Amino acid sequence: MVRLVIRRVGLAIPTLIGVSMIVFILMTVVPGSPEAGLVPEDATPAERQAVRNQLGLDDPLPVRYFHWAVDALQGDLGRSQQRRREVTDLLVQAWGNTFVLALVSAVFGIALGLLLGYIAGTRRGKLLDRVISVVSLAGLSIPSFFLAIILLALFAGGLKWFPSGGASFDDPVTAVRSLVLPVLSGSLITMAITARVTRAGIVDVFGADFVETLRAKGLTEFEVRRHVMRNAISPVLTTSGVQIGALLGGSVLVETIFRWPGMGLLLYNAISSRDLVVVQGATLVIALTFVIINLLVDLLQAGIDPRVRGAVA
Amino acid sequence: MSQAVIPVLLPQGFGSEVSSAERQAAAEQRDAWNAVDQSVETQSFWVGTGKRFLRNKTGVVAAAIVLLLAAASVLAPVLTPYDPLLGEPTDRLQNLGSSGHLLGTDEQGRDMLARVLYGGRLSLAAGFIPTVGAAIIGTVIGVTSGMLRGVVGTVLMRFMDMLYAFPAILLAIAVGSSLGPGLSNTIIAVTIVFIPPVARVAEQATRRVVVQEFIEAAHLSGASRWRIARTQILPNVLNDIIVYASGLVGVAMIIAASLSFLGLGSPPPAPEWGYMLNSLRGSLNTTPLVTIVPGFFIFLTSVAFNMASDALREAMDSRL
Repeated sequence: MVRLVIRRVGLAIPTLIGVSMIVFILMTVVPGSPEAGLVPEDATPAERQAVRNQLGLDDPLPVRYFHWAVDALQGDLGRSQQRRREVTDLLVQAWGNTFVLALVSAVFGIALGLLLGYIAGTRRGKLLDRVISVVSLAGLSIPSFFLAIILLALFAGGLKWFPSGGASFDDPVTAVRSLVLPVLSGSLITMAITARVTRAGIVDVFGADFVETLRAKGLTEFEVRRHVMRNAISPVLTTSGVQIGALLGGSVLVETIFRWPGMGLLLYNAISSRDLVVVQGATLVIALTFVIINLLVDLLQAGIDPRVRGAVA
Repeated sequence: MSQAVIPVLLPQGFGSEVSSAERQAAAEQRDAWNAVDQSVETQSFWVGTGKRFLRNKTGVVAAAIVLLLAAASVLAPVLTPYDPLLGEPTDRLQNLGSSGHLLGTDEQGRDMLARVLYGGRLSLAAGFIPTVGAAIIGTVIGVTSGMLRGVVGTVLMRFMDMLYAFPAILLAIAVGSSLGPGLSNTIIAVTIVFIPPVARVAEQATRRVVVQEFIEAAHLSGASRWRIARTQILPNVLNDIIVYASGLVGVAMIIAASLSFLGLGSPPPAPEWGYMLNSLRGSLNTTPLVTIVPGFFIFLTSVAFNMASDALREAMDSRL
């Protein structure tokens, strides 16, 4: 297991470097001159050049990447001229809010998806299975931002049960109330995918020979299902890492609609105002969080499923 | 065919002295043989898939919805007299079913039906083109690295893994904000997002095929790598890729709509569904039904694509 952990962490490092390179390159090839916002409109070419030199904008790309990466490793992602704040400060504040939202959404969506998938898989072909299949297909197809708008219209506009936006963690009741709508709109797709994967896994495992053996041994149906679940859970775990990533990425939409002060809203505002330093920083941090979560899910899976452990160690 | 059958049906030694009656008997037998033969006639894979698909009611309905939406958006100028870009300021935010405006009007008094129809062109293109593009590019990359292994294959797949390490929407947003707003940039962004997963599917399928004996046979018969890729590997990996890619169209639509929702799609006043939904958000409390219209169409199209894709997958799996 220790070897496996070292191996997996070792494999994640080049991925992390690659991700940072992609983020850097994407924000460097952007049309328009990066110093435009820093110099007065009537600046002479010489003054412009001075700013460019100061920022190292004329250095070769690899050199610029290296400087940027070294700064980033020290927690310096640049300074937002529009906001007059350090990008890192903005991100630290926002990261926690996004993490809370993504985590609650993931737990809610995966738990509900497991339950629905289990019900559907164990009642294959019955009415309940069909209903759940339709619901999860719909869940897969509904854009989170559309669902968010419907929920807003119904529960914040019409019924006024929940606040229409913002986050407040002052007391538990308002915290939960402010979480309900964003969590619902973000986690429906997680629930749908988890339900589909769980159902497929259960149907698959029920067809395996060992299930017949268990029945022949005289195990109760409940015990048989327990064995089936243990075997069917592995693909669910595989997708759950991707799910959390989707929630982190999708946070841009959900947070924008609910004015949730996380990285997604930060990213949206930065895109709208073409504040590329912030776009770069936020993209990098979200992507890195995703890589690390996938790594943790991988290790968790190896811990639970000896087949996975055997295959790679 | 007949030459192959007659020697089997006729006893040895008949040779030249076959009478006409015997000839006829043989012909009858041959016809009978062929008649039996017909009932077990091999069916092309795609004909079988088509037949199985047509038996699936959900799939047919879904495909019909997609075709209908595509036709309606192509025929938009015939179906509606309104201009999707010009509004009547006095007719702002009319509700659903108000006189002359079946789907109401938006915050600038533009007819919603016209905007939805014309917008369908953009949204369907943004769902379809990236999927096809990524399927082609991803297949080339996946088959290449599956066949070549070695340095080239490893480098290609490592690079794919790095792109795959981004959450899909985030990568699309990053590429989109790097390229700037616009439909073609949205299409490029979504294509880039889908290349790595398609390449992965293609690479895994290629690895499975490339170790089989018939590939070795092709090598021994002197076929070039390019020829093997084209005639031996591609037909065997294409099914996996088509099944996988068909599931991406709905997702592509949603990602493209998300980009246009965030203002990274076609610049206003182009009637892209995602952008329409965002610009109508402010009218949610006055005319909620009108606000929901563009979202409903994104949802409808995406559901239809997903259902059609599920049906296609089932139809292509001939074991079912």
